[in-house]
Amino acid sequence: MLEKGRISPRQAGELLFMTIFATVILFVPSIMAEKAGHDAWLAAFAGALAGLPTLALVVRLGRRHPGQTIFQYSETILGRLFGKLAGLAYVWFFLHWGAVVVREYGDFLTAAFMPATPLSMFNFTLVLLAAWAVVAGLETIARMNEFLIFLVVSSLLAILALSVANWDTAFLQPVLAEGFGPVLRGALVSAGWHAEIVTMAVLLPYLTRPQRAFASGAAAVLASGFILTLGVVAALSVFGPDLVAVFKFALHYFVHTIDIADFLTRFEAVVMAIWVAGVFIKTSVIYYCAALGLGQVLGLAEYRPVVLPLGVVMATLSVTLFANVSELSFFLSNVWPAYSITLFTLGLPLLLLAGSYVRGRPEDNKQAENLNE
Amino acid sequence: MNAFSVLFRKLLKIVRSPVLPEKDYYHRRERRASRAEAVRPDSPNLDRRLQLVRERLGESGDLVTRAFSSGNGRVRLALLYVDGMADRKLLSDNVLRPIQDDNPLLRHYKELRPDNALQLIEELVVNVSETATAPDLTQALRRVLSGDTALLVDGEKKILILGTRSWSMRAVTEPETESAVRGPREGFTETLRVNTSLLRRRIRHEKLRLETMRAGRRTTSDIVLVYIADLVNPQVLAEVRQRIAAIDTDAILESGYIEEFIEDAPWCVFPQIEHTERVDKASAAILEGRIIILTDNTPIALIVPTFFFQFLQAAEDYYERPFIGIALRMLRLIVMNVALILPAAYVAIITFHQEMLPTPLLLSIAAAREGVPMPAVAEALLMEATFEVLREAGVRLPKTVGQAVSIVGGLVVGDAAIRAGLVSPSMVIVVATTAIATFAIPAFNAAISLRLLRFPLIILAGAMGLYGVMFGLLTILIQLAGLQSFGVPYLTPLAHGTALDAMKTFARPPWWLALWRPKALGTPDRRRQAGNMRFRPAPPEERELTHEETGDKDAGKR
Repeated sequence: MLEKGRISPRQAGELLFMTIFATVILFVPSIMAEKAGHDAWLAAFAGALAGLPTLALVVRLGRRHPGQTIFQYSETILGRLFGKLAGLAYVWFFLHWGAVVVREYGDFLTAAFMPATPLSMFNFTLVLLAAWAVVAGLETIARMNEFLIFLVVSSLLAILALSVANWDTAFLQPVLAEGFGPVLRGALVSAGWHAEIVTMAVLLPYLTRPQRAFASGAAAVLASGFILTLGVVAALSVFGPDLVAVFKFALHYFVHTIDIADFLTRFEAVVMAIWVAGVFIKTSVIYYCAALGLGQVLGLAEYRPVVLPLGVVMATLSVTLFANVSELSFFLSNVWPAYSITLFTLGLPLLLLAGSYVRGRPEDNKQAENLNE
Repeated sequence: MNAFSVLFRKLLKIVRSPVLPEKDYYHRRERRASRAEAVRPDSPNLDRRLQLVRERLGESGDLVTRAFSSGNGRVRLALLYVDGMADRKLLSDNVLRPIQDDNPLLRHYKELRPDNALQLIEELVVNVSETATAPDLTQALRRVLSGDTALLVDGEKKILILGTRSWSMRAVTEPETESAVRGPREGFTETLRVNTSLLRRRIRHEKLRLETMRAGRRTTSDIVLVYIADLVNPQVLAEVRQRIAAIDTDAILESGYIEEFIEDAPWCVFPQIEHTERVDKASAAILEGRIIILTDNTPIALIVPTFFFQFLQAAEDYYERPFIGIALRMLRLIVMNVALILPAAYVAIITFHQEMLPTPLLLSIAAAREGVPMPAVAEALLMEATFEVLREAGVRLPKTVGQAVSIVGGLVVGDAAIRAGLVSPSMVIVVATTAIATFAIPAFNAAISLRLLRFPLIILAGAMGLYGVMFGLLTILIQLAGLQSFGVPYLTPLAHGTALDAMKTFARPPWWLALWRPKALGTPDRRRQAGNMRFRPAPPEERELTHEETGDKDAGKR
């Protein structure tokens, strides 16, 4: 057992919520406004619902292979060679995803706060911090998240509430003026993010009550979808779809507009705090999955030795993957959803589930597991 | 295999072998000493034993050996006690006199002879409430050194121990470090028995347990675990016992020694065990299912397991009305953040994020900083360091001199520094506010660790702005989230634990609603009281109005 810690279903739900939500709120509103115009808020929630099938898939897989992560049961299902390949593919997925997230983080901070500071400073410090958290273990990450989630969500809701004075809901109309096409295109983006719930495939065996996995995962997806919808509604009704589509970090500009009695202004620092805390958790979770996965695929006794090497790769990738913010933005809106959904969040899990049914009933797997021990 | 590889392997072997062979030097001396002792037979002869006592204890001025005889000189006896620790009046009135005098009980009942003396004296003669017999001199001496008296009888190997412990002790006074406006004034003292009685007096329940352990080879200090048997989590209790039993050192002079031996992460800045002088606070902890560790010769009791947010709570929160408790808790949470972050945030904003300040404020700060020769980081570090020096100078001095230090240091030097343009007034405000905030944290040991962490945060702020501060705070959070106190996560109840417990971090519930003990402690009996005990006044009864109430003055006449 590479991970001895156990987290409660509530902790898992909160972790997954943060994993999805941390980057969603900053990048997604503008991408969705670009794709779906004033119907972006509809697309936001519709896309979030698309996270549920992925969740159902991985929970089903987890039920059929109790006590195993996706890295382990892919080997049970596909056999040694192809199983290890699939496991490595997932390690790559988490590594790549982690690098993209770290890049988003660095790009936002350089663009919005410290333009003179090199990107790699942010990326490397974040990966270093996350590496420490990963070495500390799953339980520690879960507890940190429990502490931070309260601050992050409450300050975000406070920001949204403070902006109500600037809202003009006319921007949300007319509903479905151009039919369902734009909504679906926008929903795909939101779906790409909410399919990140696939992380449950790694966390599930470490739940104290695995039977609650679907409930907690679904709560995470729905909560994230709800707050995203709220954020999109707020951004649209303050700026209108055209302006939101032009912004890269809608929430950041959005905060600029808050001005209560000439005194409560300039909340950018709060946004940065939310962002840094949220992305730190998100990176830690993804990084943890990559490290644990590599440890399990390679059959190590400990995942900790691979943490730092993986971190170096992740940080380097995060700097070299994209030339600039526009490239990142293009990747996020046009490549990432299709790439992650077809391959990792829907494609491979479907294949694995099919394979699992072909292989036989869960009872047989249980016996096999007993023999292995 | 070539010669190089052989050489290499040998080298490797040398490198890998431990520097010192695993020999137990510490215990070897002890063993040698006990062997030397064993050579002498434990003879029943009184003179030889008294000589042995003198050999082992040396010519100590406070050791009293009083030889006398009884039963018409047939039986020779000796009393052995340490002057100042045993009750001399009790010894002369209730021990010496009944044995030496012509005791009617002895005369009529039985004759005192060397072979029955010990038993007869214990059963019939001495008027001491606590007696025991020790099998040999070594054990008897241990009791004598803790204040009891040994009665040796010539020709009898066993030794009678009389409970005569009594010494001058500090009275029970109000704890100076944790004073409260409302609440009991009693604090623990240096005397263990007094402390246990203070606890027993508050919790008169048969399940209250006082478990005595010993540690310290040279001090043999008594350590008492106090808990309620059906409230404590047995796993935590076993862990505490095991950790204390593992202590093998020569001296335990203060509970701080124990704290460092048994805490989970000795290298962490944050205190992981709460301590208190307040008896009511200790009792409340026991009633929550925690364990109190009392140590002899110190008024400081340890509370385990400890959660981080306990350090922000004071006993008074529970005595004043709940609204005050709620407000104070919120205030302390804010204060904690101020104490930790304020100077760092100020440095970051002044150095990197000037746009965050409203323009008039920014202008006035900039004008005040006009002539300051240092960057804000250096200024902040200098001022914080100065404040620490001032505080430290004030702590150890007598109160009257301490005031002079604070006047000279704070007022004179501070004012002169601003006038000279060395530091800016805004920085002085920030540092002073931080200092006051630090003192508003109830627990000194938690406040001091926050103070220490302030310095790296200021440096990070100077280097990376608010991002650096956030980076520093997240590092602290990783530390805190990774900590456990006796198997319970340190950040409980905000992380880990129920929502109800988490709420108590911000607001204490009114007593009539405090139904549950904290869940994370794993107490077998979580229920504190039967149900919601809020008093609801009965509805007013229907009755005839009196004439005074109706204002009808003539009603009686009619």
